[in-house]
Amino acid sequence: MTSTEDFERWGGAAAWSSGAELTAMQTLLWRAERHPVQSSTSTVVIDLDRAPDWKRFVAATEWGTGLVRRLRQRVVDPVVPTAAPTWADDPTFDLAYHLRRERADSREEMLAAAAQVALRPFDRSRPLWEGVLFELPDSAAYVLKIHHALADPLGTVQLLSMLQSGRRAHTPRKPLGDDAAAPVGTDGVELAVAGLRTDVSTLPDAARAAARTLGHAAVRPQAVVSSALRYGASVRRLLTQAAPPSPELGPRTGKMWTFLTLEAPLEPLRTVARQGGGTLDDAAVALVLGGLRRYHARRDSPVRELPVGVRVSLDRADDLGNRFAGALISGPLSIEDPVDRVAAVRGEVLSLHTERALEVLDATAPVLNRMPSFVGASALRTAVAPDAFVLTLPGPPRKRFMAGAEVQGMYVLGPLPGAALTACLVTVGDTACIGVNVDASAVADLDALRACLAEGLEEMVAAGLGG
Amino acid sequence: MSGLSAAAREAIEAIEAGPQGPKIGAFFDLDGTLVAGYTAATFYGDRLKGRDVSPAEFLRTVVTAVDGELGGDPTRIAHVAFSAMRGESEEAFADLGERLFRSKIAGTIRRESRALVHAHQRAGHTVAVASAATKYQIAPVARDLGVEHLVCTQLVVEDGQFTGATDGPMLWGRHKASGVRAFAREHGVDLGESYAYGNGYEDVAFLSSVGHPTALNPHRDLRAAAGRLGWPVLDLSDPVGGSLVAAGRTVAALAGMNAGVAAGIAYGLTRGDRREGRNTAIKLATSLPMALAGVKVEVLHRERLWTHRPAIFVANHQSALDIPVLGNLLERDFTIVAKKEARWDPRAVIGSVVIDPAYIDRSDSESARATLDGVVDRIRGGTSLMIFPEGTRSPTPALGPFRKGAFHLAAQAGVPVVPVVLRNTGELMRRSSLVLNPGVVDVCVLEPETDWSVDDMSERIAALRAKFEDTLARWPA
Repeated sequence: MTSTEDFERWGGAAAWSSGAELTAMQTLLWRAERHPVQSSTSTVVIDLDRAPDWKRFVAATEWGTGLVRRLRQRVVDPVVPTAAPTWADDPTFDLAYHLRRERADSREEMLAAAAQVALRPFDRSRPLWEGVLFELPDSAAYVLKIHHALADPLGTVQLLSMLQSGRRAHTPRKPLGDDAAAPVGTDGVELAVAGLRTDVSTLPDAARAAARTLGHAAVRPQAVVSSALRYGASVRRLLTQAAPPSPELGPRTGKMWTFLTLEAPLEPLRTVARQGGGTLDDAAVALVLGGLRRYHARRDSPVRELPVGVRVSLDRADDLGNRFAGALISGPLSIEDPVDRVAAVRGEVLSLHTERALEVLDATAPVLNRMPSFVGASALRTAVAPDAFVLTLPGPPRKRFMAGAEVQGMYVLGPLPGAALTACLVTVGDTACIGVNVDASAVADLDALRACLAEGLEEMVAAGLGG
Repeated sequence: MSGLSAAAREAIEAIEAGPQGPKIGAFFDLDGTLVAGYTAATFYGDRLKGRDVSPAEFLRTVVTAVDGELGGDPTRIAHVAFSAMRGESEEAFADLGERLFRSKIAGTIRRESRALVHAHQRAGHTVAVASAATKYQIAPVARDLGVEHLVCTQLVVEDGQFTGATDGPMLWGRHKASGVRAFAREHGVDLGESYAYGNGYEDVAFLSSVGHPTALNPHRDLRAAAGRLGWPVLDLSDPVGGSLVAAGRTVAALAGMNAGVAAGIAYGLTRGDRREGRNTAIKLATSLPMALAGVKVEVLHRERLWTHRPAIFVANHQSALDIPVLGNLLERDFTIVAKKEARWDPRAVIGSVVIDPAYIDRSDSESARATLDGVVDRIRGGTSLMIFPEGTRSPTPALGPFRKGAFHLAAQAGVPVVPVVLRNTGELMRRSSLVLNPGVVDVCVLEPETDWSVDDMSERIAALRAKFEDTLARWPA
């Protein structure tokens, strides 16, 4: 039974992410990256019930990189930005460069080491991932660092869920990926010339489209002006109307990452979400706010709301669609009741749907990509940095195995693009695994924050069990 | 229920089919939802007219308003207005609210919004107006709709004067949502089963607090959001405003009325029959102007107008249009009782020549009684009487209390009472308006009631009034 499921899933993994070019948004993040301050790197920490057999683990990873071609590919940038970067097979791919094993005495030590792994920048001329298996006294943890251009956090979790096995025993004759490799000979100059050629050939079309737009504008100047004003107003609201950043969470350097992990049963969190009329995403934001509320109270800070970065689906509100936009909401710190807090967060998030400029970064990414990379970098920086990013990701629906070790938890530690903390809730079976990356330079009392976040989570769970 | 759009009917049927009782809430936004347009603009227009506004304040208001439109803080405009009210008397402002309600705002209440409110009230739901406006704008509207609860922005009053500050936040956007949630906790309302209606882009948080949100005549950005969120959108018709064309038609209608009267009287003179001449005049004077103004009448149970003559016809009263409509229905052999002051009303003066109303001097009860004695004789002589038991026109379709006069006359003259329910005349011709808009007037003639006596009169009047209310709430098919 389980193995049929495994085979289906592995088939999906082989087909995963096969486009040759980076999308406009990936390109922007790739070119604008300034690690770690403006980073696009996520780290996944997977708790395992025992240390897997190292040889089997290496073999499994070898198989995984064969199945998912992208793990053996690197990004080739055109020498001038006339085209999007493309993926090409790395002829020098060597698994030993990407995968290694270390020893740690405790889980805390492992998390600290994982943060150091995450802080080191990638070699951008190689495949954009790095895995470390930490062997602990009577368990283990696999730490996988992965670049956003290869997979965003959602993609990373999907990929890992796909590659894991439904059973502890080894599966012989696993499916293999196609050997048809992407063109190896791609180089930067060729790419730039090809891009330029496409630009020139599409120029007449572009000119005609521009002329048409101008024609419309000339005939209906009023409509064009008012539409532009409305768009501008929406951009201004998105950028300026969230709460000002909390003084308790600054100044931040973005260079001192600290990884915290929390876990809780999933069902009570879903109950609280339902009671507040919201989704698990809303509950995740509300529980982080609950922790920050306690932290601010403990520090005698009068802050009543702070800016929180959330992910909004651009498709239907509750679908897990493919198009997302990041946006800021004002997260309330003054609401004590968890259910009411979920409802307030729900209202803030849904209100973003009235903003026509929600997709502004998506819309401007192709233009920004044609400019020198520092333009894109500063465009990303002008977006007001929230105090916290909160993200929810669906993980595997039940417990899985990696080379014979059972997965006990899966935590995503996102990057800190200007924020004081990034929290990701991953659903693993019936458990919520919450990974929090904190900028230690922004927080005066890290232990207090850790305790407050735990209390905020407990409070949510208690509310869910009580109702 | 004729007169309501299919979408509004569907919404009402869904309410009727859904759970009932006070645990279910129904929250209505005010501006743009219950009423068309902005009540604050009406208040501000009045301030401008009264020259209460200095040029500096005016400029500040305009700049703040434009900034709010261009992505600035849209609530600042209200705070500018509130702080300008510092030192003003609360009582005077509340009076202003009542005055503006009668003269302007009452006419902007959407008929189908009213039907939605009544549907929730019939279902026993806890109905509230939830708005960023102040209670001086909301209370008269809420009272007219029979809504008891207000969730709104509170202004601080000290020694009967405004301080210019608000008590708590202005209930806009997220604050309105949290106000509604607090109200629900206090009143034991289950938000998951409740309803909310709003039109502004800032209403998303408010709407998302309930299980059944409806974007009602939404602002374009809310319409887009409702599409994404899968919320129902309900587009209700606005009350008809007076257009130039409508004004022109009204003039034609007045001319038609005069021509009708003249023709009728001339006809009577040539035939040597004054009574017949009068009836012809009524017929022409009422049907010509309505045809010219584009007003049609649809009558349910028209036969009941003829089975019990002479009779006393009682009708609800919202508009100057009621008299020609009833005249058109009754056609012949009737008169009206009018207050003495109405004798010189330009809208009635020509009609009064032919109808020969019984005028009563309200200030002189002796002469009033004498006039009524004369009326009883005329009724017995075969002339029916048309009376508005509310006494005066109500500013909205909400029914006022019934006075007893008409029913005493019925008892004295020994004739039946024929109840006539008029709908939407107030919409076609607003109270105190001289402009008549084209449209269809719905009329329902109820079962005639005979054998009136003083003994059980109060109970029968109350029962009859309830029938009027019921007919207005659920228009028979």
